[in-house]
Amino acid sequence: MRRLIVRRLLQTLPMLFFVSIVCFILVKVAPGDPVRSFVTPNMHAADIERIRHNLGLDKPAYIQYFIWLKECLTGNFGYSLVNHKPVLGQIVERLPATAGLMASAIALAVILAIPMGLVAGANRNRWVDKLVNMIAYIGISLPLFWLAILLMYFFSIKMHWLPSMGMRTIGTNSALDVIKHGLLPCVVLAIGFLTVYVRYIRSSTISQLKEDYVQIQYAFGSAKRIILFRHVLKHVLLPVITLLGMSMGDLVAGAIVTETVFSWPGIGSLGMTAVRGMDYPVIMGITLFSSVLLILGNLLADILYGIVDPRIKTTR
Amino acid sequence: MRKYFSGVIILALLTMLVSACSGGSSGDSASSTDTSSDASQTSSGQPKDGGNLIIGVAADPVILNPNYAGDRVSLTIDQALYAPLFQVNNGKKTFYLADSLEPSADNLTYTMKLKSGLTWHDGEKLTADDVVFTIDKILDEKQNSMLRGNFIIGGKPIKAVKVDDTTVEFKLPQVSPAFEATLVQVSPIPKHIFENEADIEKSPKNNTPVGSGPFKFKEYKTGEYVTLDRFDNYFGGKPHLDSVTYRISKDANASNLALQNGEINMKYVDPQDAATIEATGNFDMKNYSEGRLSYLLFNEKSDTGLLAKKEVREALSYALNREELIQVAYTSPDYADPAKSFVTPDGLYHDNNVTTYDNDVNKAKELLQANGASGMKLRFIVSGGNKAQEAISLYVQQKLKEVGVNVEIQSMDASAFGDKFTDPNASDYELAAGGYIMGFDPDAYSILYTTGSDSNYNHYSNKEVDELFKQGAGEADTTKRGEIYKKLQETIASDAVIYPIAYTKTIVAVDKKYGGLDEAVLKPVVIFEDLSKLYLK
Repeated sequence: MRRLIVRRLLQTLPMLFFVSIVCFILVKVAPGDPVRSFVTPNMHAADIERIRHNLGLDKPAYIQYFIWLKECLTGNFGYSLVNHKPVLGQIVERLPATAGLMASAIALAVILAIPMGLVAGANRNRWVDKLVNMIAYIGISLPLFWLAILLMYFFSIKMHWLPSMGMRTIGTNSALDVIKHGLLPCVVLAIGFLTVYVRYIRSSTISQLKEDYVQIQYAFGSAKRIILFRHVLKHVLLPVITLLGMSMGDLVAGAIVTETVFSWPGIGSLGMTAVRGMDYPVIMGITLFSSVLLILGNLLADILYGIVDPRIKTTR
Repeated sequence: MRKYFSGVIILALLTMLVSACSGGSSGDSASSTDTSSDASQTSSGQPKDGGNLIIGVAADPVILNPNYAGDRVSLTIDQALYAPLFQVNNGKKTFYLADSLEPSADNLTYTMKLKSGLTWHDGEKLTADDVVFTIDKILDEKQNSMLRGNFIIGGKPIKAVKVDDTTVEFKLPQVSPAFEATLVQVSPIPKHIFENEADIEKSPKNNTPVGSGPFKFKEYKTGEYVTLDRFDNYFGGKPHLDSVTYRISKDANASNLALQNGEINMKYVDPQDAATIEATGNFDMKNYSEGRLSYLLFNEKSDTGLLAKKEVREALSYALNREELIQVAYTSPDYADPAKSFVTPDGLYHDNNVTTYDNDVNKAKELLQANGASGMKLRFIVSGGNKAQEAISLYVQQKLKEVGVNVEIQSMDASAFGDKFTDPNASDYELAAGGYIMGFDPDAYSILYTTGSDSNYNHYSNKEVDELFKQGAGEADTTKRGEIYKKLQETIASDAVIYPIAYTKTIVAVDKKYGGLDEAVLKPVVIFEDLSKLYLK
């Protein structure tokens, strides 16, 4: 087990290197120029060139990459080209908002998805299954930004139950207030995750129900509910672990659309601003950060697999 | 059959959801108008002290330091945080930190007197030292200030010299009537804060700015809001409001809902949304000119060479109808005034009585025929998602078809569009819709229309125009200067360099509970010139 972890962690390094190169190339190939974000029409060309030079943007792209890499290896993720604040500081500043929102959305989605998927799978093609499927289809088909606006319109503008934007009431700092602000974006995101999870769990339930051990339980005369929640559930949770591992990246990458619509001060909206301004140090920082978490999440999922399902451990 | 059934359920659910929302809206809007009429009965016009104002902005401020602020949000917040030296509205000066500004007889030295007893938000005295420090830092090549170019005239910098604590002399290398337009952009930054900073742009001190405006910095929550508190020692008198908050909301639809919900009290709205907001009856809708010209660009450098001919540009202008174009792009003539001159109405010597090529399809056809250009194909580049640009391009495409010209619309990503539009060598398109805000001094326009200038996106070249701009820049006599710029406006209009569409207006929605809007003076980009004058009714 320890060897597995060390090996996987070592594999992480070339992977991150590769991710950073691809990301850098994409940013450089994309049209746009970071200098433009602070150029005004009455600036002189010579001044623009001077600023470009001061920022090191007049050097060839590969040299810019190595400068960035060198700084990165010494723990300095650079400064934003737009607001000149340290990249790491900006990410750390916004991390709690994004991580809190995403974690609660994923948790909500999992808590709802497990019973829904189990019941739907067990009652295949009956009305419960149809209902769950329908909800999943609606969830997949609805654009989240539209759903967000719809919920905002109903719960904030019409009913005045919840605030429509931001994370806090101006000037206050209470947990209850943050939860109130986070409820709508959390529900919207949870619906997005839920629809994917439900379909996984449903199909996994269907295949588990065909297994021999289920038939034996039936033969022993166990009740369907007990078979489902005591035996099938354990097996069904396996794909959920994989899904959760894959969602780790989302924890820091945030949700660009939802965060933007609800003015949630997370990493998603930071990333969108960075992409618009071609602010590559920030883009690289966010990409690397979420890659690390994605890789760690997958590693964690693999380790958990080994613990939950001894068969996997022996085959390795 | 099963599939059909679930489809019906989905539809039914959706209609229920939608109708629930719209049903709620009719009931609720009635009650909200009731409350607003109550409020207007009880309120008197007297300015009251106290209360807060929440202004919706579309992004985080980039940097709260007027030497670097170039984006709308930073400029808007800086307007409340940092007092300017003076401002100019319709050619009239309003003095803020400055008390007077007088040119010498030879127009090479300007003497500025500051008001006495000025202080920064932290209580330190604001003196001539701060003004000189600010200008020096703008000129410092290592400091990356975007204002620098304006302080260089004919390759030489303007010098600021302290005479005494409240007097500064500006020494110009040569006569420049545009100097006041340069100085108007300056809001002093505090010397005692930034004195020892090697790189002011990266200084963490910008995170807790110390200014001299009516409101002082309180807190900034990244991605959420910036809050400013009343500054009691403001030289213009204690502001009425207790605080001003700039709330960051990146999604236009969501922030319009927040406006209607009272979570935002004031924001810019798009022409497309103005009617909806106005219909609530809770907002004062203010349309005002931004000093912006919206125009159709003719790229004379295109590889087909078609638009290098003046007659062809004339013909294209004849094919279009300005009123229709305004209706299509800006939904109503309320939001845009027809434009003929390249100088905006707020600019000095603006003259809209210049040659225009008004809609005449037959003339357009004749001219195209005579110049062998009928049946030509033009490429129109559009920044995808920009509603006004898309509307203009579709209208132009349809109108030019009537005179036998085919327009191919090339929609591209906003940054790709920006690259192409500003690329001095781009020759693979003929048409684009553009817009500019150049300020009140017409010398600023020289970079747009003189031969070989980087911002001459039309690639227009006319020796007479080059010469006139040069004369105008150095002419101190106002009458003579006025004649020069009148001639320039006529020459550029008759050469059909661009097709001027409209002087566009911006629309601001302000909650009706606020008063003093006229005293605060609406201003392009930053919304209000002096927020200290706003009050809760």
